[in-house]
This record gives sequence, structure tokens and C-alpha cells, in this order.
Amino acid sequence: MVIIMTMEKTILICEDSIEGVFSGIYEAYARKYVHSQTSLQIGATENYELFAEYKQIAAEEEKAKKVSRTIIREFGEETYLTFCEALATQDLEKGNAIYHVLVDGLRTKNNRIMENFAVADVNKVFELCRYTKNEIQHLKGFLRFQELEKGVLFARIGPRNNILTFLAPHFADRLPNENFIIYDDTRNLCVVHPCQKEWFLMSADNLQEEETRNYSQVEVAYQELFTFFCQKIGIRERKNIALQTQMLPLHFQKYMSEFNDKVYK
Amino acid sequence: MDIKITQGMTIKEKLGILSDAAKYDVACTSSGVDRKGDGKGIGNATAGGICHSFAADGRCISLLKILFTNECIYDCKYCLNRKSNDVPRASFTPDEVCELTMEFYRRNYIEGLFLSSGILYSPNYTMELIYQTIYQLRTRHNFQGYIHVKAIPGADATLIQKTGMLADRMSVNLELPTAEGLRTLAPNKHRKNILAPMRQIQTGITESRHDLMIYQHAPKFVPAGQSTQMIIGATPESDYQIMAVAENLYQKFDLKRVFYSAFVHVNEDKDLPALPGGPPLLREHRLYQADWLLRFYGFKAEELLNEEKPNFNILLDPKCDWALRHLEYFPMEINRIDYQMMLRIPGIGVKSAQRIVKARRMAKLDFSDLKRIGVVLKRALYFITCNGRMMYQTRIEEDYITRNLLNIKEKLPFQTNGMTYKQLSLFDDKNFDAEPTIIDSQQAAMGQL
Ligand code: SF4
Repeated sequence: MVIIMTMEKTILICEDSIEGVFSGIYEAYARKYVHSQTSLQIGATENYELFAEYKQIAAEEEKAKKVSRTIIREFGEETYLTFCEALATQDLEKGNAIYHVLVDGLRTKNNRIMENFAVADVNKVFELCRYTKNEIQHLKGFLRFQELEKGVLFARIGPRNNILTFLAPHFADRLPNENFIIYDDTRNLCVVHPCQKEWFLMSADNLQEEETRNYSQVEVAYQELFTFFCQKIGIRERKNIALQTQMLPLHFQKYMSEFNDKVYK
Repeated sequence: MDIKITQGMTIKEKLGILSDAAKYDVACTSSGVDRKGDGKGIGNATAGGICHSFAADGRCISLLKILFTNECIYDCKYCLNRKSNDVPRASFTPDEVCELTMEFYRRNYIEGLFLSSGILYSPNYTMELIYQTIYQLRTRHNFQGYIHVKAIPGADATLIQKTGMLADRMSVNLELPTAEGLRTLAPNKHRKNILAPMRQIQTGITESRHDLMIYQHAPKFVPAGQSTQMIIGATPESDYQIMAVAENLYQKFDLKRVFYSAFVHVNEDKDLPALPGGPPLLREHRLYQADWLLRFYGFKAEELLNEEKPNFNILLDPKCDWALRHLEYFPMEINRIDYQMMLRIPGIGVKSAQRIVKARRMAKLDFSDLKRIGVVLKRALYFITCNGRMMYQTRIEEDYITRNLLNIKEKLPFQTNGMTYKQLSLFDDKNFDAEPTIIDSQQAAMGQL
């Protein structure tokens, strides 16, 4: 009698974070899984596949760091950043795509793996990274600070991707003398930048809603001035609201002071 | 410094008048210079520029775009602020401009300041006011964000020089494409007075670059380069004339950008065209597309237009139009054709072409790869082969392809203020996250990539 051994699939379940995914990749190598039979999955599933072995992988800083170092050493900072940006999306395939790009790159010793656009996973990672990059680029412009009492600048955003840590360096460089807070209200996280100090990320559990509405005396006046400016600067003969909305989608407008009273449409 | 009348006006009233008066200036990008903050002041700049909002006309708001004053001693016929018009007048003080800039910037409303002006008393007097304002911003307020100012034709060279040491970008408006147009519509302006400061700024930029090679910390003169704009449709020039002027400005004056501004009818004047259809937006759009082809795709004006065919095709973008008139070059083999030629294929933009060049080093590409890379196949398919095969059996025949291309609806955004990604998308390049850098375009021009 011949026993046919079917190679079993292994599915590694990781936490939805850079650390989580990199720990998964670390384990895939450490436990010597056959990469073509292994996939990485973010969070638990509802539909379990038959003939697949599921392993829960815990996020561990040390392991993640080792993977980060390998990525930077083999493929450079830029690819590393690309991976981090892809991981900031909510896409559930992101971890698996990165894992297989990495496997492919290490196997073929190709240090320019992200240029091989003909590979589906490379394209996937690239698309995800671009999605994040676009949102970062948008919010660098669309984010609005409001001055609270005591001069603290407070911005509320509702980004689709987890981009606070990508935005923070930009604003810290731009406004080193300001105390500012950027609050992601979908993830309940915030970045805090004290004047002339390093910024840090923290949970926003202690943020009081009323406090964020406690504007300084001049705040409303500047909001009005800017709204007024936006009205004046548009050319009536070229009015094109569809284009305005295409360039500045409503989910951003919701958070922008100049659109709050919809006066300038 | 005494400034005319505006006492008693609130800052809001002034802002209303002076932003309203500045809105026809289209050169409002914040691009061209990368500068980190120094950790002590406020502000930085990113080469790609940042859009902070969009106005109801769909144009990007990036800079606080205002006139210093709409007082003017000149009488240009197309301009709302001309001397003979009875309109409310206002002037800012340097302090007021600084305050608005700083407070807007802190709140992340803007990337910086765009300061233009009517001519108050004299060109020198006006230029001095502009200089004083940005001097205050850069020194007292330690502002390191983006500043674009106008050089006022007729102002002393030393004033322009001083101002250029503080500004990121300077521009002198050409106003109208030809000297003749200028004579009819702007009787107080002369072509040579406009070209003189343009030349001075160009020389300043070149010298400053040279100094920087020798001393690393030499102060920079107009580091984001020089731009200009011309009004389209107020005078009878053809598209060919306009493109030839633009090309000349890029080549002879090293301009970073030429902007085209569809004429908006604001004054009744017998010398102005009536334009019942509103501003010539489609024409403006075609000019921007062609401008893009000059700067990033290695095209020359005379390839796109000529004396016999002096105006762009209304129905097709200039790149498709060129391709259809040059079917002898097609189809091109994607796995072999050099970068420079690839840029001429409709449906392939700068980014896709760069990605193709990289990707084909690793594997032979087929149509599905091109799709993933971002090539717009429905447009490109008539012009390319992959590994010797076309995507479908198609005839390479002008009428046939034209009909098919016309069936693909062209997206006409009429958003042509110069913000970068929109314009890339005009060429169906889905990868419009960044403006090709200067290096890209130089390499493109030399076919190095
Ligand atoms: S110089 Fe001419 S275009 Fe400029 S503000 Fe005066 S009238 Fe208008």
C-alpha cells in the first residue's frame, strides 16, 4: 500500500502590528517551515481551512528586531520603510505578502526585490505602501491644528491607515517650539510633542473631549479668517465642486475647520 | 513707511480684498525645495510641495496667496486692479502679513506665503515693501516655510537681489505671450522690462549654485527656482506660438515652471475678447499637457505643433495626437525599446516607464505585468508589443485607432493650477504620487534611465 503524504499547509496567526508580523516571519524561518506551504495571517479567522495547521505567534520585540535588521541589511532602509508603510494599512493580506516578498528576495539574493514588479506579492506590497504614502501626504496638508487654552495645538484626524508615527516626524521638524497633540480618533491613539522635546505615541484614554474644545481666545477668529480666505481665493467662473471633492474627499473635509460650516461651496 | 488710506479697515476686510485680487495668479505651488527645520524657528519645506486645501474651483490651496496692495499706478486692461477701475482698495502692513502667515502656518492651513502686489507709487517702493515683509518673516519670526514673491519689473536690481536671498521662489509674470499682446493690453509694461529681472534671477540662481559647490553654507538665492505665467485667450496667439515661447523660457531662462492662466473676463474693454463660453479651460488644459510633455517626456514644441497645424486637437491629448501622426514608430516592443521612446507611448507615464525599465531587467514582461505596473492598456494596446505580440489583432491605422481612442472618455478635470499629481494623471499614469524630479527629467531627456 502506498501512503500518499500530502504536504500540510501551515498558517501562522500574527498580531496586527509591525512587531506581530515580523515575529511571524521570524518563526517561519526559526521553525524551518516550507515557505511555499506557509502563510501568514493577521488576526484569527472565522473560516478555518481543512488540512491546515494553525499556529498562534506572539509578538516579541527581540524577534521583530532581528527581522528588521535582516531586512535593512539585505534590502536597505527604503525597502524596510516600504514594508512598514504597507503594514500600516488595514489590509489583512499585508503580512503574508511581505513574508513572501522577503522569502523570494532572500532565496534569489536579489537586494532590489521591490523593483520586481512582475511578482504579484511585490505589487501587492507596493500598492499597500502607496496607499499609506498617499494618506500621509494628504494629511500633511489636510490636518488642522486648533489652538487650545495655554497655546497647545490640537489636531484630530480619522485616517484609514495607522499613520500617526509617520506624520509625527514631519510636524516635529516643522513646529519644534510648539506643544502639539495629534489625535487619531479611529484608533484612539495620539502623538504628543512637547516644545523642544522628542515626540511620543500614547493611548488617548485620558484625553477629555471637553478639553479638546477649549479653544484659546483667538482661535475662532483665525478659523474664520482662513475660511474667508478659502472662499475668496476660488474663481467663480471656474467653479467645480466635483473636482474639489475629488481632490479633497469628504472623509477629510469632516475634520477641517474651513469646511465645518460649509460656507464656501 | 506710510501706506495709503487703509486705516480703519479690519484685517478681515483687507484679507478679503487682497486675496480676491490675487486669485487669478495661478502659480501657487509650494514645490521645488527640500529644507529641514533648524530646530529653533518654525517651518520646513518639501520638494514635492503640499496641498493644504482645495477651493470651490477645485484648485489647490497651498500658500497664503495675497497681494500686498491692490493700489496700482498702471492700467492693464485685463486686470481688476487697474488704475481706471473703481474698486475697493486696501494695503496690508508688513506686520499684518507676518501675523497672518505665522498664525495660518502654525495651524497647518498653509505651506507658506505667496506675495504679489499692485504697483504702489513706484516699482521700487513696492519691491521694498515686499522685501521688508519677508525680511521680517525670515528674521524676526524665524520662518523657514515656503516663500514665493513677485519680482516687480522696473525695480532696482539690488532690491531684487536682496529679496532673492530670502525667497524660495521668485516669478516675473510674462503676462501675455508676445510683445505685441503686451502693447495692446498692458500699455505701461514692456517686454524688455519683464525679461530683465527674469534674466537677473536666472543669473543669480546659477551663481548661487556655483557658490554652493565651493562653500557648503553659502546662502541660497531663489533655491526653488523661477516661474512665470501668461494669460491665455486674451490675445490672438496660436498654441504653437505659446508653446514656442514656453520652450524658449525653459531653455533660455531656465525657468522651473511656466503657468498658463485661462483669461477670465473681468473688465469691459473693447480690446478684450468677449468669450461667451467662459474662460478657455480646455485650451489651458491642453497647454498644460503639452508643457508636461516638454518638461518630462523629452518632446519639442515643433514636434507637437507647427505653422500648418498651429493649435492643439480639441478631442485628443497632445501625446495621443502625436502618436497618431507618427504611426511609423509603432508598435514598440516593450522589452526592448529605450526609456526615452517608451515615454512617447500613449498610456505609459513617467512612473510606469521607470518601473518597466526596472522590472524588465529581472524578467520578460507580458501584458498582465504591464497592467500591474500601471500602464493603461486600453490606450497603449495599439502602440505596443510584448515579446513580439500585440495584445489583440489590431490594425495600425490612423482612422481606426483614432476612433477607438475617442471612445475612451478622456478625464478632463480642468484643474490646472500646477499641482503635480493631477497633471500626471492626465497621462493615465496611475502612479501619480510624486512629481518627477529634475534629475528624472534630465535623465529622461538624455535617455539614461
Ligand atoms: S501692474 Fe497691471 S496687472 Fe499688475 S496690478 Fe497693476 S494693473 Fe493689475
